[in-house]
Amino acid sequence: MADKLSWTELRRAVAARAGVSEKTAGAFLNALTSQLLEGLRTDKSVKINGLGTFKLQGVAPRKSVNVTTGEEIVIPGYNKIAFVPEIGVKELVERGESKEESGKSKVEGSEIDPIKKLGEQAEEIVDLLADLGQSPKETAPLKEERPLRSKKKEEPVAEPEPVAEEPVAEPEPIAEPEPVAEPEPVAEPEPEPEPVKEPEKPKKKYHFVRDLLICVVVLLLLLFGGYFFLRSQLTKWIESLAQPKEPTEVVVQPVEEPEPVVEPVVIDTVVPEPEPIVEPEPEPEPYSDLITIEEMHEASRLTWMAKRYYGDKKYWPYLYDANRDVITNPSRIKVGTPIRIPKLTKEQRDTTNAETKAHLEALRIEAEEACRKK
Amino acid sequence: MLTKELIGQIAQAAGLSKKDAEQLLATTNAVMRENLMAGKAIQLQGLGTLEIKERSARTIVHPRTGERSVIPSKQQLVFRPGSGMKGELKNA
Repeated sequence: MADKLSWTELRRAVAARAGVSEKTAGAFLNALTSQLLEGLRTDKSVKINGLGTFKLQGVAPRKSVNVTTGEEIVIPGYNKIAFVPEIGVKELVERGESKEESGKSKVEGSEIDPIKKLGEQAEEIVDLLADLGQSPKETAPLKEERPLRSKKKEEPVAEPEPVAEEPVAEPEPIAEPEPVAEPEPVAEPEPEPEPVKEPEKPKKKYHFVRDLLICVVVLLLLLFGGYFFLRSQLTKWIESLAQPKEPTEVVVQPVEEPEPVVEPVVIDTVVPEPEPIVEPEPEPEPYSDLITIEEMHEASRLTWMAKRYYGDKKYWPYLYDANRDVITNPSRIKVGTPIRIPKLTKEQRDTTNAETKAHLEALRIEAEEACRKK
Repeated sequence: MLTKELIGQIAQAAGLSKKDAEQLLATTNAVMRENLMAGKAIQLQGLGTLEIKERSARTIVHPRTGERSVIPSKQQLVFRPGSGMKGELKNA
């Protein structure tokens, strides 16, 4: 890095490469600098494809104190010139000289330098390790990082490095981490990187199988539930048309009972829905039983009330439904409006039930339409 | 200002055709890159210096896990504006 390519040398090189006279090259380069300055002045940024972007960044004026007198002074703002290399160029530079030079003529110790640097790096890392050596917690992550990093560097450059790095790098960490791995409870960050890799696969499989089973069971239950629900509804409907079809209901109930064998907990919630829901379906009545009446104040929202009283904000359309007489626009309720908080029946709460869900959804859509009106 | 605009301006200022200016800019870039890669700094008269510098390795601590890791040193292309350029644009 010691030597510089002077302006004249650059001009000469450009002229030779482009096959133009030195004069034109000079004129071009002068125009380049002057226009670059001009561009910075007018646009605050100049982009040169294949190189990068020059930018003008303002530094705001700031206050400071004169150290000797204690007087307050204002450091005036000024413009700073920043240069951001293009991504391609940046990568090229980071990768080191190797690629560019294999393609082009100049070879100047490019293969010696990176090795030296890697060696230096290794030394630095060893120093760091020595610094951190007392506490085993920290050596472990370092050990993890290093192979990754060094690999990145090793690949593009050359093979000889692993020899340079490995003897320095490996003997130490390998000796250290083993005692660390055993007293696991002490070293918290350590167990993560290592053991995670191994148990992950079995865990995944296990989860997969379990999830699948759960899915299948739930699906079956839903199917059963839906089937019985539909059936009971059909029977009800038929009953309402013609009463003498009672026997069908008798058939339904005995069939329901064997189900609990599969999974009693879920069935408790699923099975009771179908029958009772048909009865309370006439809506306004379920709201007769109130928990409380709450006055609307500035920060309250129906959703939050729903969350507070029912445990989930998704039930807020019920609140709207129960208070239609006082609420015209659910998103703009007047402060002081008394909001009736009705008790919700089990069926109203149960959103796994398709009908309840649909009902709730319909209410929500209605409420949202009311929002849009005014 | 984009490269195209810059080329247009240069062509006008140096009395070249846009095509020539574009080509010259490309060769200039190529020449600069090669020299940079060869470890040379490039002095741009009236502007400053372009050079490749080594950014030394440093340790970082992951803010959440507290894990320490080393960021290896790397090469960086930097531009050091000269005093002329600095002065000229200071109050632009």
